[in-house]
Amino acid sequence: MKQKDLLKQMCSYALEMSLKKGATHARVAATSNNANGMSVLNDSLETIEKAVDSSLTLHLFVEGRYGTCSTNKVDPSGLDKLLDDAIASVKLLAPDPFRKLVPKELRYEGPPLYSAHSGSVDTGVKKAFLLDCACAIWNKEPALISVMADYSDHRQWLHLADSDGLHCTSEETWYNYSVECTVRGKGDARPSDWDFQGGIHPWDIGIGSGLPCTCAATALERALAKRNPRKIVSGRYRVIVENRVAATLLAPLIDAMSGSSLQQQNSFLLDKLGENIASSVLTLIDDPRRKGTPGCRFFDSEGLATAKRAVIEAGRLNMYFLSTYYAEKMQMHPTISSPSLLLLKEGKGNAATLAGLIKNGIFVTGFNGGNCNTTTGDFSYGIEGFYVEHGQITYPINEMVMTGNMLDLWSRLLAAGDDALKTMSWQTPSLLFDDIEFSGL
Amino acid sequence: MDLTTAIEMDSKKLLNLALQQGGDYADLYMQQTTFHSIVLRDGEVNAASTHNEGGLGIRVVSGQNTGYAYTESTLPRDREEAARTASYIAQGLIRRTKPAPIATLNLPDRYRIVRPWEGFSPQEKMPFLYDLNERIFSADKRVEKVTAQLSDATSHIECYNSLGIHCSDIRPMASLSVTCVMESGGQRESASASRSFRMGGEFLHSAMIRELAQEVLDRTSFLFGAKQPNGGEMPVVMAAGGSGILLHEAIGHAFEADFARKKVSIFSDKMGQRICNPGITVIDDGTIPCNRGALNVDDEGVPGQKTYMVTDGILTSFLHDRISAGYFHTEPTGNGRRESFRCMPLPRMRATYMDNGRDTEEALIASVKKGLYVDTFSNGQVQIGAGDFTFYVKSGYLIENGKLTQPIKDTNIIGNGPEALARITGVANNCIIDNGTWTCGKGQTCAVSCGMPSVLVASLTVGGRV
Repeated sequence: MKQKDLLKQMCSYALEMSLKKGATHARVAATSNNANGMSVLNDSLETIEKAVDSSLTLHLFVEGRYGTCSTNKVDPSGLDKLLDDAIASVKLLAPDPFRKLVPKELRYEGPPLYSAHSGSVDTGVKKAFLLDCACAIWNKEPALISVMADYSDHRQWLHLADSDGLHCTSEETWYNYSVECTVRGKGDARPSDWDFQGGIHPWDIGIGSGLPCTCAATALERALAKRNPRKIVSGRYRVIVENRVAATLLAPLIDAMSGSSLQQQNSFLLDKLGENIASSVLTLIDDPRRKGTPGCRFFDSEGLATAKRAVIEAGRLNMYFLSTYYAEKMQMHPTISSPSLLLLKEGKGNAATLAGLIKNGIFVTGFNGGNCNTTTGDFSYGIEGFYVEHGQITYPINEMVMTGNMLDLWSRLLAAGDDALKTMSWQTPSLLFDDIEFSGL
Repeated sequence: MDLTTAIEMDSKKLLNLALQQGGDYADLYMQQTTFHSIVLRDGEVNAASTHNEGGLGIRVVSGQNTGYAYTESTLPRDREEAARTASYIAQGLIRRTKPAPIATLNLPDRYRIVRPWEGFSPQEKMPFLYDLNERIFSADKRVEKVTAQLSDATSHIECYNSLGIHCSDIRPMASLSVTCVMESGGQRESASASRSFRMGGEFLHSAMIRELAQEVLDRTSFLFGAKQPNGGEMPVVMAAGGSGILLHEAIGHAFEADFARKKVSIFSDKMGQRICNPGITVIDDGTIPCNRGALNVDDEGVPGQKTYMVTDGILTSFLHDRISAGYFHTEPTGNGRRESFRCMPLPRMRATYMDNGRDTEEALIASVKKGLYVDTFSNGQVQIGAGDFTFYVKSGYLIENGKLTQPIKDTNIIGNGPEALARITGVANNCIIDNGTWTCGKGQTCAVSCGMPSVLVASLTVGGRV
């Protein structure tokens, strides 16, 4: 039996058992995963890993009450006991009238999502690929201390069903490799940096494509550029945030748009729907149905159909991320529980182009810790990067902190580049902000 | 036949299979975990979850190299396939290792369960959450929302290895966390508090609920008068308890010996050298009874123990798993830990803390003309090679002319590990282990705890207004 048929059968059985044991309604998600991993340290294979697993998660609606149970033991006897215990527990809880299945008119009804490579890659091929990557730089740069190259591939099958007749299926693959280099810096310091590639096919990362591996050289170049960093004087600076880390600044906005934060009054975007919350440069689209792109999905975890939506349009907040539960509690319409494939509208140029707009500023290439208070929007992040002077990216800086409030930060967005990485599910180009507070010397 | 019995019967066969292509060492790690949680939201305990999972991880080590595979199946053919997959790492080697006869380790019991979670129904747990909710709402009219989550997990672990060691462990974990949102005059603030121990149902008692309610009320109230501080370099007094995050981030990770083995830690070449002032001793401890980081045995069959990483200012030990211990020709320190059977073990911290010094907190504060006092934290991070670490401060005070003055909140503090260590110029005699839900991430999550007496760090970079 094909994996997708097996999962559908498991879901049907679990639903039948749930209803038989006393659930009024139920939703079931069954997944099956195959994953392989491999790593090379310097010039030799260090680890090889293989994972095969499955899971079954049941959402149980029992006499107006709600609970979940899950297991990786999907045999009938194990499920029988799990359901008995779970349903007995749910019956003891307080009722929750807001818990419901996805309304039929909002659920996904289309064909399965197939965003997958049809074959697999031989272990020897992966090993040779990874060794080639690492050996391209190993022993070729005196300052290089170590190079770690990691490869992983992953295939997931999912079937989602509920007792109202919902059936959604997906099959996805993902291939990824990354390289991290550590080099000798000043004194005892050993700065490091990384690069990665990902895609749904092996050739997206270079396997079988005949294209050279570029990640190792990029990682090494970046690590070398970080040697001998300085701390500069505290002040307000114009700042570029590099494409591959700009999503860090987007995450607090998304958290603050989630139903769980909003319903608990724990969001700095409470009562801001329809208002301008950012500079007009910021337009953010959730575009979930781009097949072959990370983040692509046709339905969310409860079966709500995804759709293309403008989350923020020219700085105006257009939507919250509301599951059926939080929508019911907030007396609003459900949208989707979380974003899928976020695209920040691009402008022109890359980080170097944006640097041309800076006389005295900072180019942030990485965040080191920090956090954002979801209730107030106040944030403080450690950063690393480079000083920018008269349009040129110059020496590396470190041990500095960027501080402010999210609403103020995004109102200071001046420009976006056109260099978003297509291998990320949140595709953010390099961003230019004006007059941001940095603490250093 | 359950998984444990099945593995006991054929562990030797699986170990032989795992080592069929060569290699120095192999182990089998079996885990069966049951997890429960209930959630209070909007005044009602109206969500519960139950999760159970189990599986077998098989590892083959050849020098510093590792082959790893796991299976969730109890079928012999699936377990044998996992062993064959793990054996791939040693393909082509001439070295052959024969598994030794199995003997079971006698272990202490650092987390004896008085009341097992199995059979402890939601009906018995719910009153504690309602009590917590009631105490918080009744204490302050500004309270708008309270959410609380009570979770418990019990893991049964069996480990067999080719050295002939068999060990088993039953590991409970109980956690209660609460978040409070208050509103006053249009200003809204939220804060959280938590407790976590390796305990059974005896974890739940009224005194703990009272303490937690007061703590989250105090923390949330405090924020109304607090503001983000002015930023820059300044002396920082770190209060006793959760300040142990400084040790975890600034040095703990860099002492995990896999980083030293790969030569990517800033402390790689510092063994036996002075790295901070005399009088400073830093420990990673798996022996504190019922502590979140306590271990009877680690996840590769090494007994839980207390490891002195820094003794009187000298770096005396890294944190080792079996692979790094072999590389450095020393004994493993019981730090080989893993998130679950799905992961291979890595050197990980347990409860990391600093021994008491001779100062008092009052004296440390009094010695600072202009600086910061910090006492609650949420998260941290470190760059192992560069040594730069950060931790996020939820609350504290300005220090002005030796006195605590303006309350502060939401600032990230950044420093360099070796430099920050060398700048610890005062250690108080009030060490506290923080019993919150500390969780460390290193590709895999791991329950840990941390502790600290109050210390004065002569200079760190504080994020803030400029």
